[in-house]
Amino acid sequence: MVKQKRSIHETAEPVIVDDVTSSEEDQVFTDLSKNLAEIRKTEGVVGYILRSTTAATIDLKEPEKIVEYAILSSQVLDSSREISELFELGDVESTLIEGKEINALCLVIGENKIGIFMEKNADHADILKKVSP
Amino acid sequence: MNNNVYAFALKSTLDEIQSACPDVTNTFIFKDGKILAKGETTDENTADLTINAFDSIMERADLIGGLEAVTIQGANGRVSIACMNDFYLTTVLSKKADEKYVNTLIRVLIPTVIKLVEKIHPTSADDETLTVEPEPAEEEAAEEEVESAEADENEPAEEETATTETPEEEEAPEVDDEPLLPEPPVTQLIIENLGGLLVPSDTVRIDKAVITQWNDLYGDKKIEEVDLETLDGKTTRCKFKHIKNSKHKEKGIIQMPEKIQLTLEVTKGELVMVKPVVE
Repeated sequence: MVKQKRSIHETAEPVIVDDVTSSEEDQVFTDLSKNLAEIRKTEGVVGYILRSTTAATIDLKEPEKIVEYAILSSQVLDSSREISELFELGDVESTLIEGKEINALCLVIGENKIGIFMEKNADHADILKKVSP
Repeated sequence: MNNNVYAFALKSTLDEIQSACPDVTNTFIFKDGKILAKGETTDENTADLTINAFDSIMERADLIGGLEAVTIQGANGRVSIACMNDFYLTTVLSKKADEKYVNTLIRVLIPTVIKLVEKIHPTSADDETLTVEPEPAEEEAAEEEVESAEADENEPAEEETATTETPEEEEAPEVDDEPLLPEPPVTQLIIENLGGLLVPSDTVRIDKAVITQWNDLYGDKKIEEVDLETLDGKTTRCKFKHIKNSKHKEKGIIQMPEKIQLTLEVTKGELVMVKPVVE
């Protein structure tokens, strides 16, 4: 049973691109979505991107930059995996990139790829704890 | 700044860090995509591939205002790539590593070493160092006619000799690649005007005591030129002679022709840092 739903808003409301069947994986995705929606309320968090193999939830302060943020978080995860393999560090648990204006915390949980964007003064360690307890 | 100087200083520092913290398994420093120094345990190819992966992130990082650092937490350890004074330092830590201790050590040591090297070796072929080219004697004589009355007219014979040197002789080789030599001392001196009919425009005059100190320090090494640096960071390289006029001796001054003053954009009474160029 496949249900298809697609809703894109121009506001800062979450954008949901959903194309899933009910399964354990979907439950993880749903839980992460709720968790990230809570994290989004944290002071200093400017947005997040959650992607599974079949769905994505995006909530960004600058919705016009969705594609750029998505590409950046995807590149961070790819490069992190490459570097981790080079130094035999095993599975990547999380990657923090610190920009001059914004920091980004990227991680993979199961099949779900997450990018959380925050201001420089935000507590990334606390956010990491919240997203992957 | 000559990269070899950095490489030597930074490699030594990286090796020391790895000796002090065995849980630091790999370290290397790169700039503009090139490895500048690496610890002994780090494979060059691995470092190159890491730089490529890092550059891929860097290309997308305009969105976050440019990239300052990347920290990858893996199941068996952590990789950190951090920007320090335009250099990127990569450290790989095992899971057992005391991250606070290592980070404190690295974040203090590396910038300190970079600053020290910059202070000790402010000029080299890679810099925007301006070298004052000597002019033909005739042209120079014409120029000197209009120069100030502060001419030191007691030394014409020696000055003439200086202006007839061939350009080949005046091109002093770079010495930044000689890490075993003592670091050239930097002396701060006050600028005095130097002019006159036969005074070469590419030569400053320095207190004999300072020159003696350099000779004592470097023994047989030839010192024919000095690097001058203003407080604004403008630099030039030129020849030097000792001050002959006794009233100017041991006053902490440097007598400087107008042309060099113009190059450095300084005037009489200002301070300039002087460092010997050791061959």
